[in-house]
Amino acid sequence: MSTSTLTLPGQPLGPASANNPGTGTHIQSSHVHSSLAGALTSVPSKSKSQPQPTLTITRPAGPLVPETGTVVLGRITRTNPRQATLSILALGSGGEHTCRDTFPALIRQQDIRATEIDKVKVAESFRVGDVVRAVVISLGDERSYFCSTAKNELGVVMAVSEAGNQMVPVSWREFLDERTGVREVRKVAKPV
Amino acid sequence: MQADRRRLNAPAGGTAPPTFAPTTTKPPRRARKPDEHRKIFLQTGIVPSAAGSAYYELPPQSIPQADGLLQPATSSLKITCTVHGPRPLPRNAAFSPNLLLTTHVKFAPFATRSRRGWIRDASERDLGVHLETALRGVVIGERWPKSAADVVITVLEGEEDGWHGIGKEAEGGRAGGWGSMSVLAGCVTAASAALVDAGIDCVDLVSGGVAALVGAEGEGRDEIVVDPTPAEHDIKAACLVAYLQSRDEITEMWMKGDAGNELENLLEQAVRSATLSRSVLVDAVKEAAEAKVGLQEPINGRSKKGQDVTMTG
Repeated sequence: MSTSTLTLPGQPLGPASANNPGTGTHIQSSHVHSSLAGALTSVPSKSKSQPQPTLTITRPAGPLVPETGTVVLGRITRTNPRQATLSILALGSGGEHTCRDTFPALIRQQDIRATEIDKVKVAESFRVGDVVRAVVISLGDERSYFCSTAKNELGVVMAVSEAGNQMVPVSWREFLDERTGVREVRKVAKPV
Repeated sequence: MQADRRRLNAPAGGTAPPTFAPTTTKPPRRARKPDEHRKIFLQTGIVPSAAGSAYYELPPQSIPQADGLLQPATSSLKITCTVHGPRPLPRNAAFSPNLLLTTHVKFAPFATRSRRGWIRDASERDLGVHLETALRGVVIGERWPKSAADVVITVLEGEEDGWHGIGKEAEGGRAGGWGSMSVLAGCVTAASAALVDAGIDCVDLVSGGVAALVGAEGEGRDEIVVDPTPAEHDIKAACLVAYLQSRDEITEMWMKGDAGNELENLLEQAVRSATLSRSVLVDAVKEAAEAKVGLQEPINGRSKKGQDVTMTG
C-alpha cells in the first residue's frame, strides 16, 4: 500500500477510466477528484473483470456518522417487549471513534440473536444501562438507526447487576455478579 | 433585549466616541498595488469543542498616521468560524436524505464603530443566506443522510463602510454597505477551511474575493482594484464572488453599484481576488491536514509556522 500522500478537496487524482472512486472521492468531468483533506491510498483490484485500483481518502478524524455495517458501541436507554432503544456513543468495535453527539438507535426483538428469534425476550437480553456492541443494519426511520446483535461477538459487553455491582460474563447468556453471586440473563457478547 | 424599566438605561444605539477630525486630516490612501490583496492570516482547528473551526484575519496594513489620532484609519477584519456536525437531526425533524446545512453570521456588538445588538439583524441574516448559497454548491450533501451541520460565524472586527473621519462609516454595514462584501468574502474563505477541518466532503475549496470599481484621484479614469478597503477608496461598484478554482465555478455572486461597461472586468478581477485568497486557504488547510495525518512533527503543539505563502493568481 502506497504510503500517505496528502490530498485536498478538488484535487484531481487520475482519470475515472483507470481508477475506481472509493470513499472520500467523487467524479468530475471523467476524472476522480478528492473530496476530503486526508491521506490517499490506492488499493489494487483483486477481480480480473475490473483491474483498476480503488482510490480512497481516509479522513484523519475517522468516520463521523454510523453507516450500514458499522460496528458501534451504545448504551441501552429504554426497553419494551418489542425493542430496545440505545444511544450510540462510539463507532468501531473497540469504540475507536467517540461520537460528539449520541445517535439514537433501536434493536428490534427479531434482531437480537441469530437463532430461535421467536423465543427471544428483550427483557432477558438487555437492561437499561448496559453497554452493547451492535452492528448498524439500516439507517432506519427518521429518528433511529436500526442495529442488530445477531452474531456471537455482538451483544452486552458491560453490565451492572441489580445490586449495583459490575458483572462479568460467564456464558453466552449469563452475567455473574461476583460479589453477591447472583446470575443475570443477557445477550452476552463473545469477548474479542 | 429587554431593558430594565426601573433604571436609567444607556441609549440603545451607538456609543462610539465622537471624533473631532481636524480639517487637515486626510483619508487614508491605498498603499498596495491595485491587484494586490491584503495579507491574510488563516488557521484552522482553533476551537477544540467544535468539529471544525477556522480563524481569518486581515491584519491592519497601514501604519498609524502622524495626525495624532489614536484610532486606526482603516479597519481590519477578524472572523472566527466554527462548524458543528455532521450531527443527528433533532427529534422532531423529518427524514432528510441530505445534509441539512445552516449558517449563522453574527457581528460581535463591538465589531463595528456603530454597535450591534445581540440579536441578528436583517443584514446579518442576509449575509448568512449569501454564505449558505456559497457553501451549498460545495458540500456533497448526499453523503450525509439524516444529519445536520451548522456553520457559525462570529465577526469580531468588521469592515467599515467608509472612512470614519467624514462620518461615512455611520451605515455600519446595516444597509449592506461596501464593508459587508469584504466581510462576506472572509466568511466564505473561513467557512471553507472550517468545513474541511470538520471532515465534511466538499467538491472543492471555495474562496471569496471582492473587486471594486473606484473613482480615481484627480483627473484619472476609474480603475478596478482587488480587495478594496472602503475607507481608502471612493467605491462606485463592487462585486463579490465565491469561486471554486479547480472546477472554475462560481457558487455565489453579489454585485452592487453601477459598474457600467466595466461589468465583466469587475467580475474577472473579483475572481482573481478569490484566486489570491485561495492560495492562503490551500496552505492553511494543507498544514492542518499534515499535522493531523502525522506527516510532520508538530513543534510544541503547532506545525511549521511563520512561513508566509505568496498569493499567486
